[in-house]
Amino acid sequence: MTFDFDEMLQTIKDKQWSLADIDWDAPGAETMTDEQRAKMQPFMADLVWIEHVGARGFASLATKAPTPVIKEIYEYFHAEEQKHANAELALMKRWGMLDEDGTVPEPNINVKMAIKTLDTFGDSLPLTGLATLIPLLECALDGALVKFLLDEIDDPVCHQVFKHINSDEARHITVDFQVLEHIGAGPLHKLLIESASNLKPQVILGLIVVFVPLINKMRDNIVAMGLPEQKLYNAVKRFNTIGSRGEFTKRIPAYHVLRSQAGMVVNRAHPYHRLLADPLVRITSFVPARVLGKPQAWTEELTHEPVAS
Amino acid sequence: MRCDEFAGPVLYGDEWRGQDFQGRRVAVLATGRDAVRVLPVVARTAGSVKVFLEDADWVLPVLPRPARMLLGPRGRRTVARIHLRLSVRDPWLRRLLTPDDRFGDHAATSSHGFYRAIQGERCKLIRWPVYAVTEHGVRSAEGIEHRVDVIVVPAPGRLGRARPKRITRTTSQREELTA
Repeated sequence: MTFDFDEMLQTIKDKQWSLADIDWDAPGAETMTDEQRAKMQPFMADLVWIEHVGARGFASLATKAPTPVIKEIYEYFHAEEQKHANAELALMKRWGMLDEDGTVPEPNINVKMAIKTLDTFGDSLPLTGLATLIPLLECALDGALVKFLLDEIDDPVCHQVFKHINSDEARHITVDFQVLEHIGAGPLHKLLIESASNLKPQVILGLIVVFVPLINKMRDNIVAMGLPEQKLYNAVKRFNTIGSRGEFTKRIPAYHVLRSQAGMVVNRAHPYHRLLADPLVRITSFVPARVLGKPQAWTEELTHEPVAS
Repeated sequence: MRCDEFAGPVLYGDEWRGQDFQGRRVAVLATGRDAVRVLPVVARTAGSVKVFLEDADWVLPVLPRPARMLLGPRGRRTVARIHLRLSVRDPWLRRLLTPDDRFGDHAATSSHGFYRAIQGERCKLIRWPVYAVTEHGVRSAEGIEHRVDVIVVPAPGRLGRARPKRITRTTSQREELTA
């Protein structure tokens, strides 16, 4: 059965919510202990930036969308990921994790490298690569990180915010996989040509040098914080399950590449970590941020304020 | 976009012409060619202007009539692209102002002051989709309510591209869809 993207777009419009709908001063912030605050601050900062970088990914996808309706859906998703980053920043503010001026936390070097990669190559990346990478990251975010956060934190406002975010993310994942079906159903030669164009040196280098350590650093940070590794397995399993449910997704080479990479990421015993990811995390930690230059203006758009005048 | 709930004035069509905004905060909800027409004039008297641009169009510099006549559609786009490149230094802002011609060509409108106005200190370009107008301002999909005093909607009929037919659903049907 063909997926109705028009109806999905309408649902997305109907389901919009605003930071102004949330009472950020409602009781519950006191449930956050000092110990939790110290533990969760770097996790939340990473989460904000991952959402923000994800938003930029959707901006690039919008320029590649195969139909005008999918383009408009991606434009909404771009905005919604920004909204999630803003809402998570507002939670940080509520929990006293920001300074008095509410300054946005500085992204780590791996996030900065991801920003640089997206600024430089994001809009020229072929559709299949980015369209496969984003649902994988969303499965991990939705299935592991957010569930972990909700298990750890009792604040009712946090649960209210993530109810909205999870509802949005469920739509993102549905659309992401339906787009893969749409792409996968295209002529095989087109898929192969597009996949071959993924093999440009800068794309391969970008994926390896930027995303391998980015994902690994986050993975290890949250496992060290207490996230059960089983949750990561489940997230990748979900990516596999939804992907294999589709009739045409498995025709996309990028899907198979990223699926096997994800399998290696969650398995800490795999030589992938010893031989590639761990050394890259170490090496990238020495990269001085100034060599990356000034990031583009979209990185300055984050705000924890529900209203702007 | 329904603006019934908005507490301040909403100026439709050409009602913005000849208005003195007396330093008030103005929101312009428009597509490319209308924003190009409205912004340079509104920005002269407004305290601040937020342009909620639904779709960007090409902007040509004001050329002598013979030069305009000589340019074909492709030539106009090339000139407009160069104009954008030379007028807007910030790469992200330039990206937001670049029309996407993949699903249909965008119009090329002449304007002398649009790019200068949009980069002015008191102006802000917003490309997030607008989903509601409340009592105090405009809500866009990045989750922020932008508080303004006046809303200008120069061409309400042109807003809402690729909009599917409105579907009436009960709440439970909608919940089911996102379950």
